[in-house]
Amino acid sequence: MQAWFAARGWKIFPFQREVWDAARRGESGLLHATTGSGKTLAVWLAALQRAKASRKPGLRVLWITPMRALAADTLRALQSSAADLLPGWQIESRTGDTDSATRTRQARILPHALVTTPESLTVLLSRPEARELFAQLDMLVVDEWHELMGNKRGVQTQLALARLRNWQPGLVVWGLSATLGNLQQAAEVLAPQGTIVEGHLRKELRIDTLIPDHPSRFPWAGHLGIQMLEPVANEIAQHASTLVFCNTRSQAELWYQNLLEARPEWAGLIALHHGSLDKEAREWVEQGLKQGKLKAVVCTSSLDLGVDFLPVERVLQVGSAKGIARLLQRAGRSGHAPGRVSRITLVPTHSLELLEAAGAIEGVRERHIEPRLPPEKPLDVLVQHLVTVALGGGFRSEELLAEVRTAWSYRALSDGEWQWALDFVARGGQSLSAYPEYRRVLPDEEGIYRVPDAGVARRHRMGIGTIVSEATVQVKYMNGSPLGSVEEGFIARLAKGDHFLFGGRILEFVRMHEMTAFVRRATGAKGAVPRWQGGKMPLSSELAQAVLEQLQCATEGRYDGPEMQAIRPLLEIQQRWSALPTPDTTVIEAMESREGHHLFVYPFAGRSVHLGLASLLAYRIARARPATFSIAVNDYGFELLAPEALPWREALCDGGAFTTDHLLEDVLASLNASELSQRRFREIARIAGLIFQGYPGQPKSNRQLQASSSLFFEVFRKHDAGNMLLTQAQREVLEQELELRRLRSTLDELQKRQTSFHEVRRATPFGFALMVERFREKLTTERLSDRVARMLRELEQAAGP
Amino acid sequence: MNAIATELAGERVLLLPQKALYWPAAKTLLVADIHFGKAASFRALGVPVPRGTTTENLAALETLLTTHDAQRIVFLGDFLHAKAAQAPATLQAMLDWRARHRELELLLVRGNHDWHAGDPSGLLRVTMADEPFACGPFALCHHPDVSCEGYVIAGHVHPVFHLRTQRESLRLPCFLLGTTRTILPAFGSFTGGHSLIPQASDKVYVVADEMIFLIEKR
Repeated sequence: MQAWFAARGWKIFPFQREVWDAARRGESGLLHATTGSGKTLAVWLAALQRAKASRKPGLRVLWITPMRALAADTLRALQSSAADLLPGWQIESRTGDTDSATRTRQARILPHALVTTPESLTVLLSRPEARELFAQLDMLVVDEWHELMGNKRGVQTQLALARLRNWQPGLVVWGLSATLGNLQQAAEVLAPQGTIVEGHLRKELRIDTLIPDHPSRFPWAGHLGIQMLEPVANEIAQHASTLVFCNTRSQAELWYQNLLEARPEWAGLIALHHGSLDKEAREWVEQGLKQGKLKAVVCTSSLDLGVDFLPVERVLQVGSAKGIARLLQRAGRSGHAPGRVSRITLVPTHSLELLEAAGAIEGVRERHIEPRLPPEKPLDVLVQHLVTVALGGGFRSEELLAEVRTAWSYRALSDGEWQWALDFVARGGQSLSAYPEYRRVLPDEEGIYRVPDAGVARRHRMGIGTIVSEATVQVKYMNGSPLGSVEEGFIARLAKGDHFLFGGRILEFVRMHEMTAFVRRATGAKGAVPRWQGGKMPLSSELAQAVLEQLQCATEGRYDGPEMQAIRPLLEIQQRWSALPTPDTTVIEAMESREGHHLFVYPFAGRSVHLGLASLLAYRIARARPATFSIAVNDYGFELLAPEALPWREALCDGGAFTTDHLLEDVLASLNASELSQRRFREIARIAGLIFQGYPGQPKSNRQLQASSSLFFEVFRKHDAGNMLLTQAQREVLEQELELRRLRSTLDELQKRQTSFHEVRRATPFGFALMVERFREKLTTERLSDRVARMLRELEQAAGP
Repeated sequence: MNAIATELAGERVLLLPQKALYWPAAKTLLVADIHFGKAASFRALGVPVPRGTTTENLAALETLLTTHDAQRIVFLGDFLHAKAAQAPATLQAMLDWRARHRELELLLVRGNHDWHAGDPSGLLRVTMADEPFACGPFALCHHPDVSCEGYVIAGHVHPVFHLRTQRESLRLPCFLLGTTRTILPAFGSFTGGHSLIPQASDKVYVVADEMIFLIEKR
């Protein structure tokens, strides 16, 4: 090994040796290191070293990567070092992109090392001979564990790991992770009692902000920030290679198009990269970046991870990164070679983002990095796992329960919850009334649960995967060459001949055929830009706190740094018309407009907490008299909009509105009055196998299985209100969407603060940003028929006599 | 509960908030897309749907019969959801209901689901017919686009109207009354809906729980 490193003129880092030694002793652990620091070699050579001891055929090393797109690159990296050190070793990948011939061959005998995703691993576990396939497994590596541990794919990985560990008690498991606020927990979840090895090489990081030329003319709200086009183009021009990160795919499409219009000579030199583009297009961009052929790539989180692009000198972040960890991750994409500096520049898209930029720079300086919390016993993932294991050789209840409890997320799974999940797959849910016609998983004469029906088995394998996307439609040219995918809902709104912007091109919609939208190139009007679902990331508490502290300074007349200088005029307007929120004062504004009666509140607690607060407040106000509210939230505050005048001041200033008494009851009641649980249920229904998405060219017989998640939601609510998937939907809304814990502490905080109530005649800078939010939540305590009657009256009035 | 009285092809009819149509002169109730046994079909394919939807459908029919003097119910297609809807438990519930209404005439105009599901059990004593089924001035159908003599009353599309104001929007099941045909909302308790854009000549009546409203401005 030493010789191999020496031959390349490389030095062995102490942390690499530490991993090798630990792995040799059979220990598991977590390696904490940034990308491009030799972390891959650390764990991979550890695996090869262990493998030298045995020459048996079959799978020895499993390498789990969070993204399909990373698999190919990882594979190349692993192959090139193995070629010298362990010639004759077969190393392959298996993901959703793998062709069927390779899959079939792999199904007979797996290569020595396999690079795969959590979903593809689960599909392997659903094969009847799964246990034999993994009989020689010796080491498992989870790459970019920080990306997985906070979501359901991480839970899926935990369950797969529990299974493999059960088969191979001596399995050596290593995770690779970037910096997290809860690194200790990250290790604990993946490898209990494992060691944490600290990789080193903290990279030098430079971070600054592009300040608009005329801050006073900079818009108060918006998300595109096209005013910053020229300054951004100038920055790109000055560097050999730049990544321009956008927060959404639509934003990336528009920025790419606008850059190209501003600098036509860059055609072919700049490119677009996001998750909905066709695989070939994405690979072309990645190759171009690696070879230094591209001057700039406009991208989304699709380029957050993995693959090293050595030539990238510079990263621009359009809009707020919303968290310190993400900012660091993206900054790390530049200045990759040792000794070079990572350089990231923030590009605000509206005035208030200058405030976030100032906070973010402070947060990076203090290294306030957010934690990623693993989900607690999601029952939908468990239900899916039960069917997987029933297919993969079958299971006995008590044995599998013991195994599942070794997965961190299910360590506290109760007997009742287990029994419910088992009944759900075996009997259809209610333990007392068995459905004779229901059969998904059934125990055989020996008490081993199996899947008796081939159709159920096939649908389950196709549905595996906890990443839930909207129903998508392929976009193809008339000759059949693929461009990528968009959501079904977007295409449904297009008529023949309509233009839309996709993949950096203007396209004309021709026709729809079996889940494929056929298009041709067009010129002229750009038309619509597809919008993809996908929640907006809330401002992290860490960043929110940093922002409030900046505001505190502003009230004291201190404006440090170019960001705060630039936003000073705006903050002064806010102060003049109303007041500045600070850590001890909550600012509340009431306003009347043609739209109705507005209430603005600015707790600065992040959008999830604001949604919870707004729903709670709306519910508490509407309890006294039925009303319907439209709710807008952003990271700074929330707005309630009601069609009729309400006594805002009394409701808010008597102190009862923000009380934590009956908090859970009131929040749950407010959930029933809104559509949050129903939306969350959509994902759960898919993972638990209630909804079968179908596939192109599906046999007709599957059509009778079509029902929407909202229909399921209603039926469950009416006829099986205790159903735990409903409970889970509620719990997930409470924990993830509304962040109940943070909500409670925010309420405590609000009760301590003074309220500063202002009736304003026009929207203040903070209020304006909320008024123009397009996505609005509804909360109603009106009876449906009263609500319809009122809506009809409003339409009548709007139409005039 | 409000019912809306209107005239179709010269006959006085009532649009009911229970998502059915009552034709007093013929003492007939028209019901479209009840999809009996849909939940059972899902269960048979391994998708757990709770019990109770058949009971709910039957209770809804029961309510209609107690509030309106009817000698006959005509089902405008999709009476059974699929073959698996012929499950014994589902059938038993329907037979119990049938036993309480021995005199009632039941007629089913076959819809696309009925073709796959097969005719309902003979014990239910349902008279079978194919569309268009002529009845007075009406052609009773499952599919609304059948070309035939007579004013078409049909189902099949499960129509839903998107009611929108500046700040809210709601999806509501609806009746679509046109010059040549009327489409009824789906009656079944486990049926979804399809948003559609009504033709300019259509009158749209939305159903909101116990009330029906005419949409005048759209």
